[in-house]
Amino acid sequence: MALVKFDDFSYKYYGADSLALKKINLTIDNGEYVVITGPSGCGKTTLCRAINGLVPRFHRGYIAGHVYVDEKDTREHEVAHFAAIAGLVFQNPENQLVTLNVEKEIAFGPENLGVNPVEVRRRVEEIIDLLDLEHLRDKHPHEMSGGEQQRVAMAATLALNPQILVADEPTSNLDPKSAEKILEIISTLNKRGMTVVLVEHRLDLVAKEATRVVLMDRGRIVADGTPTEVLVADICQDIGVGIPKATEIYKRLNAKGLRLGSVPLTGEELALLIQEGTV
Amino acid sequence: MSFLEIFQYTRQDSIIHRLDPRSKLFLTLVCAIISLLFLDIIPLLIIFASLLPLLAAAKSLRRWAKSMKGLLVLLVFIMVFNTLLSTGPYPFSYSVSLTLRLVALMTSFSLFFLTVHPDELSQALIQMRVRFEFAFAMSMAMRYVPTLGHEAYAIMDAQRSRGVELDKGNFVQRVRNIIPIIVPLIIVSIRRALSIAESMESRGFGASENRTYMERLQFRRRDWSLVIVSLGVLVTVLYLRFIVGLPDLFLWNIGF
Repeated sequence: MALVKFDDFSYKYYGADSLALKKINLTIDNGEYVVITGPSGCGKTTLCRAINGLVPRFHRGYIAGHVYVDEKDTREHEVAHFAAIAGLVFQNPENQLVTLNVEKEIAFGPENLGVNPVEVRRRVEEIIDLLDLEHLRDKHPHEMSGGEQQRVAMAATLALNPQILVADEPTSNLDPKSAEKILEIISTLNKRGMTVVLVEHRLDLVAKEATRVVLMDRGRIVADGTPTEVLVADICQDIGVGIPKATEIYKRLNAKGLRLGSVPLTGEELALLIQEGTV
Repeated sequence: MSFLEIFQYTRQDSIIHRLDPRSKLFLTLVCAIISLLFLDIIPLLIIFASLLPLLAAAKSLRRWAKSMKGLLVLLVFIMVFNTLLSTGPYPFSYSVSLTLRLVALMTSFSLFFLTVHPDELSQALIQMRVRFEFAFAMSMAMRYVPTLGHEAYAIMDAQRSRGVELDKGNFVQRVRNIIPIIVPLIIVSIRRALSIAESMESRGFGASENRTYMERLQFRRRDWSLVIVSLGVLVTVLYLRFIVGLPDLFLWNIGF
């Protein structure tokens, strides 16, 4: 069975006027890199929260349908139960760092779950090594830049050894360079076998690495497929999703009757295609 | 507010810093009790003089001196008022010893707070059987104080740029001016709290009854020796104070 399975899942926050999610059907398999995108307020965040049970456990509301994560219904288990399966990284790094130094922050999750101290220490060292945090080890959250904070927040999530990493706009508060670094780490993790669900607006940065793009609008999934399939669809422009420049050029050329061999997602690919075309 | 720095942790590597917080707490309490036992100038001066080498060992003398300078006004204030209002036979002498006692007390406590990292403090509390939630709430409060400060400044700037004149008017007006700052600050903080809670919940906060700790504090030989020495000093001082009684030399006062 799939790692994550949304089965006709609908959700309305307590006190809200409209549904945040409407009849979502979605399955995510092991090893996928799923990018979720869409205009603000379209339900992306709610979708992320539903993957580890924050919806409906932490946020009260009305619910229909089921979400199964690792074959367990999120209605029937505590959030903590999913902590070691689905790790969430949120938008604002500052709100995710709750301790006074980096080591403690990384140890926070496993400690909560009662992992043996020797094993906690091992994980902390492994992750400090993996995310290149050695120079930050003893730093207070306030002594770090936004990008470094977000890296630590991600490290703290990874310390739980999740099977799936869910990142909800992790780069939206960061400068372009730090954002790139975070996305690079995410794609490396995916290559090492981790399933990734990433909410991201800057598609030009992630489209190439993603195996799948899910487009959402007003609580519904309106498109779902490989990046090239979804990004050339006209619906992207209709709901105002910023597709990569290279793909846009491809579409405009197409409209003028100039056909390129395949759909480019980056400038490099576009340049290659044009080179092939002119030779 | 520079005088508050006397209670703020400074990152250093010293013998005192490396001690277990619990043994340091014991030392601090002994120092504080001894300071409270006396109200004469000479014994208090001796106590004060013996605290200084401890501060020096913690490599914190300079910082201590700096905050003491900030406190000078308050100390002079206390001295003047006590001299004027005291009904005893030697008001000035009395207020000098009161001030000395205050300084000795503050120094004892600063010895603790200057050298104990908030993390160590909460770990010490946990190992002294305080519930994890309470100890963690304390360390989180310390974590978010600077964040809240930044937010307050950002709100002040935003309100100023909309024409709110924060530094104008009489006292009542100024107190009223706090409202456009405090209301947004509370709302922002509640939102932040929700978002923090979400993140902690996702990482299993409070999930397991048997929470583990990566690092536990350990009482080493040096901690035991510190506790034994402090206890010895305390007992000796108590004995001198109550059973033997102080010699007349120690009861000297300025004379007015």
